[in-house]
Amino acid sequence: MLKMSHLSKVYRTHMVETHALRDFSIHVRDGEFVAVTGPSGSGKTTFLNIAGLLEEFSGGEFWLDGVDVRGMGDDARSRLRNEKIGFIFQSFNLIPDLNIFDNVDVPLRYRRFNAADRKKRIDEALTRVGLASRMKHYPSELSGGQQQRVAIARALAGSPRLLMADEPTGNLDSLMARGVLELLEEINRQGTTIIMVTHDPELAARAQRNVHIIDGQVTDFDDEPKLRSPNLDDNTAAVAIA
Amino acid sequence: MEIRPIISALMRSKASMVLIGLQVALTLAIVCNALFIISKRFELMHRPSGMNETDTFWFGSNGFGQGYDARAVQQTDLALLRQLPGVVAATTTNSVPMSGGGWGEGLSLQPKQKKSTANTTVYIVDAQGVDTYGTHIISGRNFKPEEIASMKFGDRLTPPSIIVSKALADKMFPDGDALGKAVYLNEDPPTTTIVGIVDRLQEPWVENDDVENATLLPGYMPYGNSSRYLVRTEPGRRDEVMKQVEQKMSEANHSRIIGKLRTIEQVRAEAYAGDRAMMIILSAVIFCLLTITALGIVGMASFWVAQRTKQIGTRRALGATKYDILRYFLTENFLITSGGLLLGAVLTYAFSFWLMTHYQAKLLPWHYVPVGFLCLWALGQIAVLGPATRASRVSPAVATRSV
Amino acid sequence: MFAYYLELGLRSLRRNPILTALMVVGIALGIAASMTTLTVMHLMGSDPIPWKSDKLHYVQLDNWSPDNPYNDDGSPPDQITYRDAVALMAAGKADKQAAMYKLALPIQPENPEVKPFQALGRVTYSDFFAMLEPPFQYGAPWDHGQDAQHARVVVLSKETNEKLFGGQNSVGKTVRMNSIDYSIVGVLAEWKLRSRYYDLTNGAFADPDEFFMPYTTAIDLKQRSTGNNSCWKNSGDGWDAYLDSDCIWQQMWVQLDSPARQEEYRSFLDNYVSEQKKLGRFPRPLNNRLLNVNEWMRDQHVVSRDVEVQTGLGFAFLIVCLVNTIGLLLAKFTRKSGEIGLRRALGASRRDVFTQFLIESGVVGISGGILGLLLTGLGLIAVRALYEQYKTVAHLDWSMVAMTIVLAIASAVLAGLYPTWRACRVQPAAQLKI
Repeated sequence: MLKMSHLSKVYRTHMVETHALRDFSIHVRDGEFVAVTGPSGSGKTTFLNIAGLLEEFSGGEFWLDGVDVRGMGDDARSRLRNEKIGFIFQSFNLIPDLNIFDNVDVPLRYRRFNAADRKKRIDEALTRVGLASRMKHYPSELSGGQQQRVAIARALAGSPRLLMADEPTGNLDSLMARGVLELLEEINRQGTTIIMVTHDPELAARAQRNVHIIDGQVTDFDDEPKLRSPNLDDNTAAVAIA
Repeated sequence: MEIRPIISALMRSKASMVLIGLQVALTLAIVCNALFIISKRFELMHRPSGMNETDTFWFGSNGFGQGYDARAVQQTDLALLRQLPGVVAATTTNSVPMSGGGWGEGLSLQPKQKKSTANTTVYIVDAQGVDTYGTHIISGRNFKPEEIASMKFGDRLTPPSIIVSKALADKMFPDGDALGKAVYLNEDPPTTTIVGIVDRLQEPWVENDDVENATLLPGYMPYGNSSRYLVRTEPGRRDEVMKQVEQKMSEANHSRIIGKLRTIEQVRAEAYAGDRAMMIILSAVIFCLLTITALGIVGMASFWVAQRTKQIGTRRALGATKYDILRYFLTENFLITSGGLLLGAVLTYAFSFWLMTHYQAKLLPWHYVPVGFLCLWALGQIAVLGPATRASRVSPAVATRSV
Repeated sequence: MFAYYLELGLRSLRRNPILTALMVVGIALGIAASMTTLTVMHLMGSDPIPWKSDKLHYVQLDNWSPDNPYNDDGSPPDQITYRDAVALMAAGKADKQAAMYKLALPIQPENPEVKPFQALGRVTYSDFFAMLEPPFQYGAPWDHGQDAQHARVVVLSKETNEKLFGGQNSVGKTVRMNSIDYSIVGVLAEWKLRSRYYDLTNGAFADPDEFFMPYTTAIDLKQRSTGNNSCWKNSGDGWDAYLDSDCIWQQMWVQLDSPARQEEYRSFLDNYVSEQKKLGRFPRPLNNRLLNVNEWMRDQHVVSRDVEVQTGLGFAFLIVCLVNTIGLLLAKFTRKSGEIGLRRALGASRRDVFTQFLIESGVVGISGGILGLLLTGLGLIAVRALYEQYKTVAHLDWSMVAMTIVLAIASAVLAGLYPTWRACRVQPAAQLKI
């Protein structure tokens, strides 16, 4: 699903060069639920940005679902992002001026689906997160947990192969966080690969596999995937580091 | 593409939208009406007077003292003027087109007619009159020397013949058979005969509706001790001749004052100075208005972009291309401008009606409005292009930043 | 606290210099456009003689053709005939009265250094000076006696006196006009008139009169007017026929000191015209008019339609500039809602926030006003360059300067009010989440 080899990312200002990622390699298989952990400033977010095609990288190789991402233009990356990846952000990033329906609609619009198709997908996605009845509400009228569920619906509506979650429960209390996490697990069971960045070890423990990043490099990983998912077949559960 | 969500997003920030829309509306209303006024003034200013304006000048002579014989002075002056090198023609007259002061009369078809058939100005000239004004006889003939009578100011005008402008001839005789007809100058006999028709000659009063109605009348008629002369020179020699005339005329006779020599170009400039000033002022207003509106759009759009950076990043993260973002802001601006323009169309006509009732202006022709729409749409799109381009450069990575 | 808010405002304005410049220039342009046009309109239409403008009246009688009205709207002609002017003068029913007309005469200076020149002047009665009160530098007007004697006397303008006598007291000396000597009885001091309101027929912004002479004297010498003359039928041949004709070329002003006197004079005019109708004159229905100075100026459009339209446009432009500023301030203050929430949380009252942001708008307003004042000055220079004849009215006076600044601050505060009100509504907590 996602394969990075010897990837590096350097931020340059006129004074300093910062190596956010160095010789970074990881391989995430189809259907996995991977938690990426690490202290602040370790390069977690940089990894997430590059993996999610939000940022370019400086060197190395990166294959996403069989596509070589290196040197890809901005538009092509946008399209790939739109089709293959769903995003869940720590601060939800719902567009405050749009109601729930229109928020979920945003990626579908960029996908150029027709109206009937979009409506069907939005209905389905919102039903899945249990918010079908709140379509006409605006984000400010929902609780944090509900907002994050809208964000998840928005991420799912385009049927992505990969879900990138950036501290998805970071802004939620524990009760709400549990609900969101259960939803993610449910989505994973239905076949969507999930990469979740978090600093919360408890949360990470619930993923099949943990990747620990320190100082821009992968330092630690569980070789054995925890086979908690009954739906997951053995082939896809295998993990390797390239 | 995504008009409905843009509109619903706009409805959430009504105030800003309404303000820009209002600004566009007022701009449209002012610009359309100001442009219409400008075009009307332009038309006025560019009506031909029928004269040769480039090579012609006129001046007055005011005599004083007992025994000043204005008629005799006229004859010597004309002789002097006509023998000057560079002079093509010279005549005595009472006025010229666009000068703002002159002699008005009524022409009638019947004696004692209650209302004149046409109003006209009267230029009292001698046999070189037609030639000096530089107008052209299109039918009939010029005055004969024996028709030029010596008249005293205050006597009734009873010329045997007159030459009229084509517009006046057509007004009097719509069938086009004015030549040779006898008409009444004012309402009383005797009649006078139209012996010639010139293609065009304006009245001195440019604001009049029947500005093309002019009559040339043969005669010498000093106003007390005052006379006025019109001189036409060879092309390009006007200024040189004017210097000579000024000097020679003063030397020729010491018991009189030679007034300022004025070219017909100066007369025109003065006649339309107000219109010209109005055009300049309105153009300046239009320019400032469009600039302010454009800068206002730039300012507002910049703020919107700054305010929505996170949102733009999120959209980018969700798969929007740079072009999608650019188009979002262009579409948004188009919608706001369009809303403003619809209101503006109403305001434009409200303004036009007001001008019509208070200032006898004509109603704005409809085509100004679509042209104004196109211009303001273009202005809006150009103004928003900068901020929209900046928006499209927002990195999608903004979405993962927590603040 | 004010100093603190002022400092905050200035700092905030400095942080977005381009935006601040945009707002200030916007207000300044709007102010300049509206104040330039308003100044011209205000001075053009301003009361030239406020202490008695309601007492001075312009006499109009309708002696025009039975078949066509003089004006399409049916209002009476703007001048009267010689015979009516003389008859009204002889009746003397007003508190003061003066018929007048415009006359051009050649002046032949005694001093051979000064070339003869054509001078434009006014032929009138001695009451002209008592009514319109032009200031005298030397001497005095001629008197009623001299009116009656057809005396060959003259009052010179300051300018003419300077031309002829180098500005010295010339009272008692003579001046030769059209080869006749007139003795000088008075010299005017500088008579600052914004518009020559007493003769609107011959141009409200025409050059000032260079001399004044008795009406009776000029008529004696058969001096025709150089001003407007209109006839509705042939006047017949010669001077006497002209004086007797229905041609209009005279203007007449009367002073009527009370409303009662004005009523009396109106009925006197009605009676006069009725009497004349019996003689076969005045074929039109009774249509006399007695307008005071300001009414007459309005009727004659001393403030030209162009100037009115320009003033309207100037203010419409100001509104656009204000809308522009409101939008920009709104955007600016909205972006600061985080800061406002924080300030509120730290103990600022709604009133504090209101004051802070209103002061920021006020600073924009004052800067815009000052720049606008400068631009108004430039605008008036431009108007003087464009309209030769408006040089007397395109000037800032103190009241207009004050008004400009007041308008600027009022505009900016008005523009700042809505954004400030919105800023005040920010809840202390709302912006502090996350």
